[in-house]
Amino acid sequence: MSADLYTRLATLASSLVLLSGIAILWRHSLQAYIASFARQSLLFVMAILIVAVGEKDPRLYGMALMVFALKVVFIPRVLRRVQRHVGAEMEIHPYVNTPVSLALAGVLTLLAYAVAQPVVALSEAPTRGGIPLALAVVFVGLLILVSRRSALTQIVGFLVLENGIALLAVLVTSGVPLIVELGVFLDVLLGFLVMQVFVSRIRETFDTIDVDRLRGLRH
Amino acid sequence: MILPILLVLPLLAAAMALLRKPDHPLVARAGAALSGVTFALALVLARRCLTRGAVAFGPGAFLRADSLSAILTLIVSGVACVSIGSGVNALRHGTGENGPIDDALRRRYHVLTHLFVFTMLLAVLANNVGVMWVAVEATTITTAFLVGVRRSKAALEASWKYILIGSVGIALAFLGTVLGYFNFVQRVGQTPYALHWTVLKGVAAGLDGDVLRLAFVFILIGYGTKAGLAPMHTWLPDAHSEAPAPISAMMSGSLLAVALYAILRWKTVVDACVGHAFTDRMLLLIGTLTVTVAATLLIRQASYKRMLAYSSVEQMGLVCVGLAFGPAGTLAALMLMIGHAAGKSMAFLLSGNLLAAYGSTRIASVRGVLRVMPWSGGLFMIAILALMGLPPFGIFLSEMLLVRAGFLSGHPWATGLVLAMVVVIFVSLLAHLQRLPYGEPPHEVPRGEPDRSSLPPLALNLVVLLALGLVVPAPLLRLLGRAVEVVSR
Repeated sequence: MSADLYTRLATLASSLVLLSGIAILWRHSLQAYIASFARQSLLFVMAILIVAVGEKDPRLYGMALMVFALKVVFIPRVLRRVQRHVGAEMEIHPYVNTPVSLALAGVLTLLAYAVAQPVVALSEAPTRGGIPLALAVVFVGLLILVSRRSALTQIVGFLVLENGIALLAVLVTSGVPLIVELGVFLDVLLGFLVMQVFVSRIRETFDTIDVDRLRGLRH
Repeated sequence: MILPILLVLPLLAAAMALLRKPDHPLVARAGAALSGVTFALALVLARRCLTRGAVAFGPGAFLRADSLSAILTLIVSGVACVSIGSGVNALRHGTGENGPIDDALRRRYHVLTHLFVFTMLLAVLANNVGVMWVAVEATTITTAFLVGVRRSKAALEASWKYILIGSVGIALAFLGTVLGYFNFVQRVGQTPYALHWTVLKGVAAGLDGDVLRLAFVFILIGYGTKAGLAPMHTWLPDAHSEAPAPISAMMSGSLLAVALYAILRWKTVVDACVGHAFTDRMLLLIGTLTVTVAATLLIRQASYKRMLAYSSVEQMGLVCVGLAFGPAGTLAALMLMIGHAAGKSMAFLLSGNLLAAYGSTRIASVRGVLRVMPWSGGLFMIAILALMGLPPFGIFLSEMLLVRAGFLSGHPWATGLVLAMVVVIFVSLLAHLQRLPYGEPPHEVPRGEPDRSSLPPLALNLVVLLALGLVVPAPLLRLLGRAVEVVSR
């Protein structure tokens, strides 16, 4: 793979990861959110593989495999099960409507370019074009989290944010040291499992997963 | 060898709670005993750090303790020892709103409590800032169930907010960690110990300032979320007020301090690269904001547990402000951390007794505490007076030192603002709590201490509060001095 092709592919994969994150903002059904997240994770796996080939780093193949098992297969499956279990179908009345959400996503992407500037300037990696895009994924994840009312969508937002950070780590340094990588994986897995347990409990206790109803505790 | 043993003890306690029947008296007692041993070992560790400077263990000094980690280890294990010892009966008679607290729940409670202590100890003893991050994140996971153990609507709401906001915050701290690592790799190259903070600090002068500043912003927001700094503090009053008393005590007394410790570790790296003006400015900004927000929200508080939680927000803000005031301020901040750990864990543990007797966390429904339970009530008031910053307790002295450091380091305006807020908080706490001890208690409240066994461990808190305020013991002062050197050199 020539250096030029490598750069182009890495940037392309990063932009697709961002696009699949933004897609969540204009969909309304929870099923579509979960599907978008699974698609984003698959694209992220592609990005890892591209960097693995480009950097000739065998460690990254292992990482790609782990991400695939966790974020493309396992987490979407659990999410679908929870979604069937709680019986929620649609994200209704988000705090921010679709056109404004999309406009905000655009603004956040620009912001990501501004914020990432010193990082891009320092980086000599051929993949540096993707750095602002990865940061934009983080911001879009945050936007999903704060602008949507379903507890399940908030989990998806968190997972998108997490994908963005992991993508950034792969792009800038081909991932963090192994021990930290494993720790992060374990934390994401356990954190996700705890969250999905709470979604079921919220459904059982409140008869809804609309977190706007969770306002018993105020100052 | 002392470092791995410190980490193994809570794991051992967790394993025991997992294997034994949860209502077996051995589980709670042995757990309390093991946490006592952990605290004793922490004292030994502090001594060794004084004589040798730093203690390390494992390949590339995987675990490492200097005076700063030693202080945090003392805080974590001390608060754990008191909380677990005092909370032996915490769940024995409790019932949740959705049915009684059964064996499975009780087992989970004990196991997770010890794992929680383990993750905090790992966070302060790990040399690798990545492992430190993993450990801090793990504290969120272990405590999420503990906050929601009562299964009431309020507890569920609190734990959902906690795990979501906590996870997002900590994810941003990881982003900062990645940026720091990238900075290192770009300038120095891939080495196996690149994320060890001793290594990071050693080469910090050659790192890129702009990227490191950006990393610090993410780290401050991220770990700041866990430390309850405004405006990311919103989860804290909910989680701290809904959790069972021993968990509130540990989350407030030690977990907040651990999160600030993580910020402090990174501050030393960033300072070595771009000088301390940048991090000081950020800490001063977020610290004054936090103190102001806490003061505003404390004015109209109806629940004594939430009041304690907002007071924690205030104190963490004060610690941040202190850290921005140079070495003298850092000394005051570390003292305040210790004083807060002792005072707040004591207040939260006793609030458990108040709740058990009165069945409500509303200040308005609690009257005549001194008549109902003279010991718990009296000690609760003492803890509150200490937290308000009255002499002869340690928090008074640390706040005086902090204000002095503020004026001497040339921040008269910020110091004045903080001082005004401390006075506002003082008045609010006094106004809210003056009716608690006296008056006619409601008829249905049974007279007498709800749980006598919860009181003796609190002697440790009293000793610490008084010692810090009257005569700081010479070894502790030396330890604090060394820790200040670690931070500001």
